[in-house]
Amino acid sequence: MPEVTAAPSASGAFDFDALLAPGLPAPNVPAPAASISAPVSHPAAPAAAQETQPAWHDFASSWSLYRDPILCGVVAGAVLGVLGVFVVLRRAVFVTAAVSQSAALGVALAFLLGIYLGFTPPPVLCAFALALASTGVLAWRQRSATLPREAIVGLLYVGASALAVLVGDRIAQEAEDITAILFGTAVLVRPEDFLAVLTVSGVVGLSVALLYRGLVFAGFDPEGARVHGLPVAWLELALWVLVALEVSVTTRAIGALPVFAFSVLPAMAALLVVKRLGHAVLLAGLLGALSAGLGYLAAFFFRFPVGAAEACVGATFFLIAAVVARLRPSV
Amino acid sequence: MAADTSPVRPELFECRSLRVGIAGRALLPPFDLTIRAGEFWAVVGRNGAGKTTWLRTLLGLLPPIAGKVRSAVDVRVSYLPQRSGMDDLYPLSAREVVSIGAERGWSFLGGVGARGRQDKVEQALAEVGAAELAERPFRRLSEGQKQRVLFARLAAADAEVAILDEPTSAMDKVAEKEAFELISTLRDTHGLAVLVVSHYLSIVSQFADRAILLDSDSQQVVSGAPREVFAHPAFRARYGDFVEEATGA
Repeated sequence: MPEVTAAPSASGAFDFDALLAPGLPAPNVPAPAASISAPVSHPAAPAAAQETQPAWHDFASSWSLYRDPILCGVVAGAVLGVLGVFVVLRRAVFVTAAVSQSAALGVALAFLLGIYLGFTPPPVLCAFALALASTGVLAWRQRSATLPREAIVGLLYVGASALAVLVGDRIAQEAEDITAILFGTAVLVRPEDFLAVLTVSGVVGLSVALLYRGLVFAGFDPEGARVHGLPVAWLELALWVLVALEVSVTTRAIGALPVFAFSVLPAMAALLVVKRLGHAVLLAGLLGALSAGLGYLAAFFFRFPVGAAEACVGATFFLIAAVVARLRPSV
Repeated sequence: MAADTSPVRPELFECRSLRVGIAGRALLPPFDLTIRAGEFWAVVGRNGAGKTTWLRTLLGLLPPIAGKVRSAVDVRVSYLPQRSGMDDLYPLSAREVVSIGAERGWSFLGGVGARGRQDKVEQALAEVGAAELAERPFRRLSEGQKQRVLFARLAAADAEVAILDEPTSAMDKVAEKEAFELISTLRDTHGLAVLVVSHYLSIVSQFADRAILLDSDSQQVVSGAPREVFAHPAFRARYGDFVEEATGA
């Protein structure tokens, strides 16, 4: 794995200094033209200076550095927020968690194969394969009466998370990468991952728009939809393939924790406060994008881990929505 | 209210030696039945008699245990399941329920903007007296209002056959009678064939021109004119004191 994708500190907190640390390859972003002030300066800067609170002008002066990761998070948050409405309405929120952990395992396995076979398959493809496989297992087990789907979701989540950590233990060189993928500590994003997120998110967003009415009818009244000749099983498959696709690509770029957060929290908040499904979809997309953008800013200014900060902003939106919903007549 | 049941009416469904059941276990004996355009069928039977199982088999939602169900080519069917079939988590307005529920096949790919479709939705809502409910959240409507909206969906979907599984189970008798009058009007206006499950025998007998009694306990299926079915010993054995209600005697 020749490139660095993240610059987490030991705690996973936003650590711009590490980006410019000696011994690490240069990140795939243009270097800021001007020198960077204290909080985002070279690690050799005096410790006291490093503790200084970052300011807006620090952020503005390094915008070229943060632009791509912020846009990547915003696009991922928006599309995951939209998908999340359908996931939440199908009472399957932890499916996304299991799928994102499976995607993370896929990335870890790609690195492992690179070490032991000398050939590294594209991590995003491995992520998608594992995400799709876990989706397939869930769809298959849904027909079983012996165990509820939640049990299989739990198994996949725990199994994929534990395996990703075990695999990470065998690829010490990429250990930081695995941490970044699991917990979303990545500060930067590779250009190829950014491109993949933009492309896949565009395809997924358009697909959801195209299938919207079918997805709603099939979810609201599945038997009525079947009687009307709608391809209900195909629509369900399409939804979960779209989820697997978006989750696998965005997990590689921004990490499993924020991916799970974006696919659940904005949708929950939106469904609490609006009366129309179409409005909920739009609001969830907006809140997902805002969670990513504001979360990144919070991580920058308060030196938090990026993924956790983004998830906390999403949770804050949900709390605000819950208060608003309590104060308004029921919807 | 009896409709013309002359044989010239096209056949929409034909059950031949049909056995229905669940998980490979037959509930009823084999029976033959033909449902024609414009007929109003009352489906009666005690709880667990096999009514819903038969309807779901007719709709293709359950496979037959034996025999066949044949349907006319491209017949347009609408199904109003018991209330539990719809998910109240979805924040849909009454208009959206009618509009989205009117989709057929792959028509959902056509988007929301089709002018003709919107006009049809508005017309259907007005036809069932639910125009004033259009903007209200479907999940906040009373059961009677919800049924009205679902009847509008049925009208907007250009259905040829309406299959209603206890559509009035949550209504009082007055509301149920109003609902049946509405169904009957839709039948007359749209030339619908109607199959409706109901336990209100006196009301059913006013509107239906055909009836079918399903009884898994005695393994009998009786069909024909309502008067004939309600006079059948199997019906009398099952309904006892309620025979008078059904026959109006």
